[in-house]
Amino acid sequence: MLVLGIETTCDETAAAVVERHDDGRATIRSNVVLSQIAEHAAFGGVVPEIAARAHVEALDRIIAAAMADAGREFGALDGVAAAAGPGLIGGVIVGLITAKAIALVHQKPLIAVNHLEAHALTARLTDGTPFPYCVFLASGGHTQIVAVRGVGDYVRLGTTRDDAIGEAFDKTAKLLGLGYPGGPRVEQEAARGDASRFMLPRPMLGRPDADFSLSGLKTALRLEAEKVAPLTDQDVADLSASFQLAVVEMVVDRLQQGLRIFRQRFGAPSALVAAGGVAANQAIREALRKLALQDQVALVVPPPSLCTDNAAMIAWAGAERLAHGLCDKLDTSPRARWPLEQVDKPRPDPPSHDGRLIAHGVALSTPSPLVGEGWGGGSSRCGTEVPSGSTPTPTPAPSVVA
Amino acid sequence: MRVLAIDTALEACSAAILDTDRTDGATSRSVPMTRGHAEALMPLIAAVMAEARMEFADLDRVAVTIGPGSFTGLRVGVAAARGIALAAGKPAIGLTTLAALAAPVLEADDGNAVLAVINARHDRVYMQLFGPGGRSLVPPRVASTRDAIRAAVARPTRIVGNAAQLIEDAWPDGEPRPLMVSAVSAPDIVSVARLGAASADLTAPVKPLYLGDADAHPQEAGIVPRR
Repeated sequence: MLVLGIETTCDETAAAVVERHDDGRATIRSNVVLSQIAEHAAFGGVVPEIAARAHVEALDRIIAAAMADAGREFGALDGVAAAAGPGLIGGVIVGLITAKAIALVHQKPLIAVNHLEAHALTARLTDGTPFPYCVFLASGGHTQIVAVRGVGDYVRLGTTRDDAIGEAFDKTAKLLGLGYPGGPRVEQEAARGDASRFMLPRPMLGRPDADFSLSGLKTALRLEAEKVAPLTDQDVADLSASFQLAVVEMVVDRLQQGLRIFRQRFGAPSALVAAGGVAANQAIREALRKLALQDQVALVVPPPSLCTDNAAMIAWAGAERLAHGLCDKLDTSPRARWPLEQVDKPRPDPPSHDGRLIAHGVALSTPSPLVGEGWGGGSSRCGTEVPSGSTPTPTPAPSVVA
Repeated sequence: MRVLAIDTALEACSAAILDTDRTDGATSRSVPMTRGHAEALMPLIAAVMAEARMEFADLDRVAVTIGPGSFTGLRVGVAAARGIALAAGKPAIGLTTLAALAAPVLEADDGNAVLAVINARHDRVYMQLFGPGGRSLVPPRVASTRDAIRAAVARPTRIVGNAAQLIEDAWPDGEPRPLMVSAVSAPDIVSVARLGAASADLTAPVKPLYLGDADAHPQEAGIVPRR
């Protein structure tokens, strides 16, 4: 099963072709990422309108590059997947519309993938991790602990009450004048800093739930920084290190709670899985290794290029959904908000669609069989392959387009 | 020449198939809407293609309105056109909404000027002024309502677009009234297809014409001073 994936929910324009073999193994045929970092750097963060403008002018050639890298024609695809949310809506629209266009022209199933679901399923792409497993998903926009019980079956065990972890890194970088993107810069500074110099709070530590909170830490950091301002290079390094350590300790504590809740509700997880851009942070990766060892749970940390936003994970999630007979109609909405628990689950007997689109009270009669059935409508033509346990094949490094 | 035309720039979602070798006219659908283009467009294109019994492989080009208009609407249309062009291996052509609005008016009579105006809010309009023969006198730009009128008031003018009424209401009392006011809310999609068929430039990349920047400002506030 060969699926094209498209990712445009934030500041990466990405396309990839992934093959899901009959036994559930995966091969990444191509993985192209165009970063917009330069476009947003001057603004200290991602500007939604700038992101949307960049996506629409780059996406088609990124897709062409991914197809060329994979050495396949559109006609060879079994499905076209796009991240349909959650994310910055302008970019989501561009990616989803482009996927719809390719699906329509080549009469392939469209799969509207939840971006968080794609992060959550990445461990199966890279490591063939069996269900159920516990995902720590942390990025610039999301911080969640999720029980992944099956394709489409996700239970959120914990989330942030305010900022996402990646967002807190970005804000710290901004505060310290380190620029954008903040995560890698704070990590770089922290590597040569003294983490014990500033006493920062560990929000949420010891609480029985698995939630996060970052805003108090952010405020405390600002107060400490202002106390010693103007900042020397060493101050910046020490503040970065102190901040990073506080985050790491909170993450470890919250994950211990998350794993405890997981076991209570669902039994033993097959693994603890890291996903999202924050999982590219080496200090956090190291802390996860220690935690997994101590907690006696297998740890799966995909390579950084598959932790940060990419289209291979979208293609893979699309393939997993397609293998369960899940696909979407051509009138599917792009969504700024889309909680993971609200994704469609595989159903043994899916409801049929009547092939009509209601837009603002106007019924557009859509001629069957073009839209009413098959690739546009129900799930029977999507494929009903039964998934099986899997072992991974080596994945090629992503190509980065300048 | 077989053209698929797409317009989602303003207050409609429209698609048309024009085959210039056929005499029985174009196949088109247009649904008024202010939001929901991203949902409605692709089923609409599928419906028009089916009704015209056209395959994507048989198309010669894809024409799309690139703006000015709703930023989101422009991206829906342009992404669709570029996606179809990529998938079908056909060229895509961008046309401005202002030219598309003026086209039917100029087709009916090109002896007088046409002012195409689209509401850009805050008492501003996107405008383009066409002289006799369809020659562009003022290229697409953002202007205050007053400046738009000032550009057009010197000659007998017809006004077209969703800001036409706004312009007429603000028309100065002492001046000769506009010859015609056509407050259409979106371009005629068959006109878009005809312009697309007539367009010679297949090389320019199809990009949205925003006529406005992204309204973002570099953020320097909140940085703790460095030594």
